[in-house]
Amino acid sequence: MTTGTRPLFHDGRVPVGRRFLLAERRRATLTVLGVAASLLLVLLLGGIFAGAIERVTFYIRTSGASVFLSQAGVRTMHMSSSALPADTVARLGSVRGVEWVSPIGLASGSVAGPRGRQLTYLIGYDPTGGHGGPATLAAGRAPRAGEAVLDEQAADTLGVRLGDTVTVLGAPLRVVGLSAGGSSITNTTVFTAAGDFARIRGGAPVSYVLVGAQRGLTPDLLARRVRAALPGTTVQTREQFTASEARIVTDMSANLLRLMSSIGLLIALAVIALGLMTATLARLRDFAVLKALGAGTARLAATVAVQVLWTVALAVLVAVLLGQLLTWALPLAAPAVQVRITGAAVLQLGAGALAVGLLAALWPLRRIATLDAATAFRESR
Amino acid sequence: MTATTRPRSTPGGAGPPPSTLVVRGLTKTYGHGLTGVAAVRDVDLDVAAGEVLLVMGPSGSGKTTLLLMLGALLRPTAGSIIVTRRDGMTVDVAGEPEKALPALRAHTFGFIFQDYALLDALTATENIAVAANLAGTTGVAAMDRARALLERVGLAHRAGARPPQLSGGEQQRVAVARALANDPPVLLADEPTANLDASRGRDLARLLRQLADDDRRCVVIVSHDDRLREVADRVLWLEDGRFKTVTALPVDPVCRMPVEPTGPHLEWANQTWWFCSAGCRAEFALDPARFETTAPDHPR
Repeated sequence: MTTGTRPLFHDGRVPVGRRFLLAERRRATLTVLGVAASLLLVLLLGGIFAGAIERVTFYIRTSGASVFLSQAGVRTMHMSSSALPADTVARLGSVRGVEWVSPIGLASGSVAGPRGRQLTYLIGYDPTGGHGGPATLAAGRAPRAGEAVLDEQAADTLGVRLGDTVTVLGAPLRVVGLSAGGSSITNTTVFTAAGDFARIRGGAPVSYVLVGAQRGLTPDLLARRVRAALPGTTVQTREQFTASEARIVTDMSANLLRLMSSIGLLIALAVIALGLMTATLARLRDFAVLKALGAGTARLAATVAVQVLWTVALAVLVAVLLGQLLTWALPLAAPAVQVRITGAAVLQLGAGALAVGLLAALWPLRRIATLDAATAFRESR
Repeated sequence: MTATTRPRSTPGGAGPPPSTLVVRGLTKTYGHGLTGVAAVRDVDLDVAAGEVLLVMGPSGSGKTTLLLMLGALLRPTAGSIIVTRRDGMTVDVAGEPEKALPALRAHTFGFIFQDYALLDALTATENIAVAANLAGTTGVAAMDRARALLERVGLAHRAGARPPQLSGGEQQRVAVARALANDPPVLLADEPTANLDASRGRDLARLLRQLADDDRRCVVIVSHDDRLREVADRVLWLEDGRFKTVTALPVDPVCRMPVEPTGPHLEWANQTWWFCSAGCRAEFALDPARFETTAPDHPR
C-alpha cells in the first residue's frame, strides 16, 4: 500500500511498532549498537574458528591430490601420527586410475629464527616430483638438500629472509623459498626435501601418501580401488580428509565456541530485553490508549514484535558489516588470524538473534497483556 | 435512582427518537462484603442520538467509573448498558465476554481524553488512521478518512505534524477527529476542556455540540467545566455514585443552543421562551411562528 511514492504500510495499517522504535532514535540506536556488538562477538568467534579451519586444511585442499592414504585408523594430519609400510608407494603404482603418487613425511616440532620460535609441522617431500610440496611459492624456489621452504607469515614473524638459516626440529636448514597460506593461529609449516626429513627424523617412515587420479576418474572411485588394493590403510578422498581435519579442530574448540557464543547471545538478550522494556515502560500510556481504542493483545504484541524484528535486523546488519570490516582489518594486525564469515553463519546468527529477541520480548509483552486499558483515562488524573 | 430524559423529537417531528444508549441498574462495587465500596449505584440513563449529556459531580463521585463502564473499559458489578449502533443493531456492553471488548470499543465508542492521549510517535493523520485501522479500515481508505476528519476539525494543514508540534487546542481537535475515525454512535469525553483556555474550550464545546447535531451521535461528557453546560442538552449531577438532580436546559428556538433559564426571555403562546441573547429574542419576536415547529421541545 502506498501513499504518493512512499510506502506507508506493510499490511495496510499504520506501522505503529516501527514508529515507536524510530521515534526514540537515541535509545533505538544504543539498543541496536549494543545488540550488534554482542552479535559481532558471536560472529567473529565463529569467523575466527572458520578461518582457523580453513588455514588448517589449506595444505590438504591445495595439494592437488584426489586421494590420501594414512595408517589404519588415522584420519587426520593434525594431532595424529601416521606411518605407512615401505611398499605402499610401489603397491599404489599398480592400482588402475592412479596418475601420480607422492609420499610425504610429517612431523611436528618448532622452527626457530632470529626473532623467536614457532610451532611447526615439518613436511618432507620429493621436490622433483612436483607434488606434496607447497601449493604456491610467494618467493624463492623448492628446497634441495639442507634447505627449506618457510611460510611467509612465519618468516615475517621470525625475522627470516631468503638465504637465512632456521633451526627446524633441532636441525639447521637454509631458507630458499617462502610459501603462502601455511600459517594458522597455532602453528606454521616448513617444507623440506625427503632426504633431509629422514635425516632429521632418523629414518622416518612414510606418513601419508598423496594420490592423483587420472583425468575423468572420480575421487570416490579411485578411493574404492585404492581401498581394495591396500587393505589395512585409511583411504580418504580430499573432501573426506578435509572434513576429518576440520572436525578435529571443531571438536577441540566446540565447547569454547559454544560457551563464548552463548555469552554473546546472553549479552544480546540482556541488551534487547533492557532496551525493549525501557521503551515499553516509557510508552505504557500509549499502549493503554491503543488498548482503550480497541487494540487487542495480539495487535499490541505485534507492535512489540515489530520492534524486536527491526532491532534484530538492524543489529545483524551492523554486526555483519563490522564483521566484514574486521575480516579485512584483523589479518593486517594479526596475519596468522584469518576470519571467515559465511552466509550460513550469518543465517545462524540471525536465527539466534531473533530467538533471543523474541525471548526478550516476553517480559514487556506480559506487562502489556496485563495492562489495564482504563489507565488511559486514569493516567491524567 | 433514575435520571429522567427530556422528551425529544426526531428531525421530522415523528416523536421521540429511540435512545442510543440505555443504561439500567448500573452498579460498580469495589471489594466485597463489609469492605466493599460502591462507586456507582443502580444508575439508569437514556441518551438519545444527537443528545449531549454532561455528567458533573465532585471528585470521587463515580464519574470516571461511570464513563469507564459506559465505554466497555470496566466491568460493572450489575446492570446493563445497551448501545444501538449506527447500523441499528444493539449490543449489551455489560454482557459481552471479556475478549470481545476490544473489538466492541473499536467499533462502538469514540474516546476523548482529558490530556488528548495522542501517540507522539505518529503524525496527526496517523493518530486518526490507527483508530480507523482498529475498526477495520486499512490502507488508503484509512488515511483518506483521517484526512477528511482532520479537514472537518479544521486541521487539514497540520496533517503531517506530530503531537508535540501542535498546540493544546490543535491536539484536542486531533483527538476529537480520532474519536470519529470509527464513526461511533457514542462519543465519551473525559474532561475534554480541562487543559484548554477559555476560548479554545468554548470552541471545543461547540464542536462536540455540532458532532451531536450533524451526525446524530450521542455525546456523554464527564467534566467539572461549567462552560460545557452551554452545549449540553442535560446536566446530571453525580454524587456518591447516584444522580442527585437532573437539569433539563431549555433550547433557544432561534439558534437551538441550550440556555440557562435566567437570561433574555419572552412569553408567547402561553409559554416562556428563553434565549441566549437579546438578538435571538428580537429575531424570534418578529415572527414566532417561524420557529415553533423547529423548537418542539422547548420546556415551559
